[in-house]
Amino acid sequence: MDDQLELLQGTLDMLILKAVSLSPLHGYGILLRIQQISKERLEIQQGSLYPALYRLEHHGWITSEWGESENNRRARYYRLTAAGKRRLQTETKRWHQMASIITGILQTTPEEL
Amino acid sequence: MTLFPRLRSWAAAMLKRTSTENEMDEEMRFHLESRATDLARSGMSHEDAIRQARLEFGGMETAKNDCRESLGVSLVETLMQDIHHGFRTMLRAPVFTAITVIVLALGIGTNTAIFSVVDAVLLRPLAYRDSGRLVTILMNGEGPVSPANYIDWRDQSHSFAAMGAADYWSPNLTSTDSSPEHVTGLKVTQSLFPMLGIAPALGRLFIEGEDKEGADHEVILSYGLWQRRFQGDRNVLGQTIVLDGNAYAVVGIMPRGFQFAPFWATRAELWIPNALGERVHNRGGNSLRIFARLKDGASLKQARAEIAGITGRLELQYPGTNRNVVVTPLKEKVVGQIETPLLVLLVAVAFVLLITCANVAHMLLARAASRQKEVAVRAALGARRGRIIRQFITESLLLGSIGGLAGLGLASLATRALIALSPASIPRVQTVTVDWHAALFVLVATVSTSIGFGIAPALQFSSINVHDTLKEGSRGNSEGISRSRLRGLLVVSEFALALMLLVGAGLMIRTFAALQAVDAGFNPHNVISMIVSVAGSKEAEPGRREIFYRQLLERVRTLPGVQSAGAINHLPLIGDQWGWSFAIEGRPTPRPGEAPHAVYRMASPGYFQTMRLPLIRGRDITDADNTTAPGVVIINERAAKEYFPGEDPIGKRVAFDDDITNPGRWLTIIGIAKDAKQDDWTATPYPEAYLALFQNQDFLGTSGTEAGRHMTYITLVARTVGDPSTAASAMKQAAWSFDRNLAISQVVTMDGVVAEATAQPRFEMFLMTIFAAVALVLASVGIYGVISYSASRRTHEIGVRMSLGATRAQVLLLVVRQGMWLALAGSFSGLVGALLLSRFMAKLLYGVQPTDPATFAAVATGLAMVAILACYIPARRAMRIDPVAALRCE
Repeated sequence: MDDQLELLQGTLDMLILKAVSLSPLHGYGILLRIQQISKERLEIQQGSLYPALYRLEHHGWITSEWGESENNRRARYYRLTAAGKRRLQTETKRWHQMASIITGILQTTPEEL
Repeated sequence: MTLFPRLRSWAAAMLKRTSTENEMDEEMRFHLESRATDLARSGMSHEDAIRQARLEFGGMETAKNDCRESLGVSLVETLMQDIHHGFRTMLRAPVFTAITVIVLALGIGTNTAIFSVVDAVLLRPLAYRDSGRLVTILMNGEGPVSPANYIDWRDQSHSFAAMGAADYWSPNLTSTDSSPEHVTGLKVTQSLFPMLGIAPALGRLFIEGEDKEGADHEVILSYGLWQRRFQGDRNVLGQTIVLDGNAYAVVGIMPRGFQFAPFWATRAELWIPNALGERVHNRGGNSLRIFARLKDGASLKQARAEIAGITGRLELQYPGTNRNVVVTPLKEKVVGQIETPLLVLLVAVAFVLLITCANVAHMLLARAASRQKEVAVRAALGARRGRIIRQFITESLLLGSIGGLAGLGLASLATRALIALSPASIPRVQTVTVDWHAALFVLVATVSTSIGFGIAPALQFSSINVHDTLKEGSRGNSEGISRSRLRGLLVVSEFALALMLLVGAGLMIRTFAALQAVDAGFNPHNVISMIVSVAGSKEAEPGRREIFYRQLLERVRTLPGVQSAGAINHLPLIGDQWGWSFAIEGRPTPRPGEAPHAVYRMASPGYFQTMRLPLIRGRDITDADNTTAPGVVIINERAAKEYFPGEDPIGKRVAFDDDITNPGRWLTIIGIAKDAKQDDWTATPYPEAYLALFQNQDFLGTSGTEAGRHMTYITLVARTVGDPSTAASAMKQAAWSFDRNLAISQVVTMDGVVAEATAQPRFEMFLMTIFAAVALVLASVGIYGVISYSASRRTHEIGVRMSLGATRAQVLLLVVRQGMWLALAGSFSGLVGALLLSRFMAKLLYGVQPTDPATFAAVATGLAMVAILACYIPARRAMRIDPVAALRCE
């Protein structure tokens, strides 16, 4: 548990978009999917998942419909929209740029200056 | 773009709020259950799994709230919740709610009423086209000017797009079926009405050439007169009506609500062309009031400079004519006099609202204690500080809105009362209505008051310590320092405001007392007066007028209840006032403009006796002073002092008639009368001369002059035994028994006339006193509330003190002292404020200085007494505390 990292501010939206881009999922499924991909190394506040989902849907990046879960319960499934797909692409690009810049800064040695 | 889906989602969420809520519930429940199932699968017990799932999820309500915020529903949502909660809170404390609403309604209602008056009287432009460009040109800014000067200004100036002149005229209207009526009218030059830019409702305005002598027999009627006398009949256009026995063709009807002139002749109901004729050469007879419109691009300053320049040249050419001519914006002329009083009242009533705010804030703070736990519980459940503040502000707004609505209702009642009570000297007061301006004012007042009284309690509430409050359980915790300081501050400001209002009221009361103590010169009690006009009746015949007047006086004197009767052309204070220059026999001819000048009246025998206007020396005018006897005149003391210093005026001769070929123009001074008030209640009387009515050819209609044609009325005065109003109808009947066509108007008691002369200060005093009384009550209730609350909070402490040997007197002093400090601090700030502010009401005062020490001292002492009383009641209660019971209960 100790090696779990808290999610960086603002990255939850991106992870949700990525998770539902693979296949439609319900809220709990999204949580499981992110944990599974991250190999349980990210800690997600479960309560904050839903406001994020509502926000994304409000922006039209994901859409939802009620369906049946694996254990035959009514559950709300989220799916990426075309706008969401574009959003995910730009977010991913920006993340990579940001990451490489930050990495670059952090790897700087005195000799390079 | 994402705007549309966002809007759609918001709209959907708003429309399907319940289903959104349900879905949110279901979704989160599914999450929890799925998680619990997973946890149970890994070996946890069912209960532990559920608990663990909940813990991991975190605050369910917070999450839901965040979801709502994501959807944008939350603002409206929480507002609805807050309103709902607010209503419940209000209903839980109905007495508190009722008192708050009443106090607020009073505060907002009175403010709205006064604002409506200020709005209608001061703020709104005059009801003419582009009225900001209209000006008046008057001598000393108030008096009429001569026709010749008017012509010169009109022809020589370049700053004005148009200029017109008006003369006062009040004829008898006799042509309709109903009884003759003395109406107020104006003679206006043709240029005047087009300048105002108001089209007639029917017909036309005067056209070029109609203000020439001989062509001037047209009349334009006001809407009111048209409705009243002609039942709104459109056929009246083109017909002739009879005014003072002459026929005038009705050419136009002005629209409803049209008023001209906006000052001085405000009751004018008809207008005829002003044919100046030969008067265009007259530089001495000042009778015209000039109205003008500034040319586009011309400034008031330019116009003033130009008129001053022209007048300066005329002054050199014709010394003594129309000095100090002032160009005043018309609006300023109309409302200038009333501006200061109304603004003073507006500030005073705003103070009342501030005190109201402070008082309601008190009450809300006092409830803080009982609501602390509720707030603490909400905070513990995850409500944020902002959310709690918002809720309390919503509650305040809710209270404020109900108060505001009630206030709006109250304002419409109060406005009606204000109109009814307002003196005639307030222009445009009849146009006061509670309209959307007032509604807007109520809205602003409500919101600002609600925030004003709500913010302090809200901040107090929101910063309470959740832990401590909940831990202390049901026990009343001691009041925080900051809160008691805030309450103290509120009391101090209430006292300061109340003191300022009381000083204002005190100064007005002293002013009014000083005005009441003014000696009119005559005795107004039990005197009735009325204008009897012969124009248009058979008594107007030159040969009959004198006989009629004499017989009428005789008959009135024999009426039961009438002690004495007399007649005069114009009564003091209410009637027109003429001034005339005169020559004194044997003195060198004075330079033009420097001749002796006097207010000029014509009195019948019996006038002085009836008015109880004492003659200091000499004799009264008698029946023997007729047209065949030598002319006589009575002057007032001021004229005697001014024009006959060191000599005896009695027996000297004066002439008001310029016609030196007329040997009969010399009038012998036969008496000196006490100075009587003239047109201004507070002014020192000017020199005055009373000529004999029955010696004046103009008044008797035998002079054959233009002036004689208009002097077709007398003002009858009678002194009665008992209520003078009861004699009025008998007097009217007596007059009508001579001729049904006599017009009788302005039936008033002299007491009424005097009351009217002091009506404005009385009105101001009345309102100020009401405001101050309300302030006093609110401030006393405020200090009482604070002291009794704090005393009840200190029950334990007092119990301890008493058991340690404090005497009852010491306890009493302890409690009273606390209140007195607040009252003293407030009174002191109030005194400083009053010293700074009272000079702004100097214009409203008479016979008292704005910083009158006696008023200040009396008010401060009175307020201190009230404060002591308000503190004494809770102090006495504290004094009676049983120490044992107090300690045990705590």
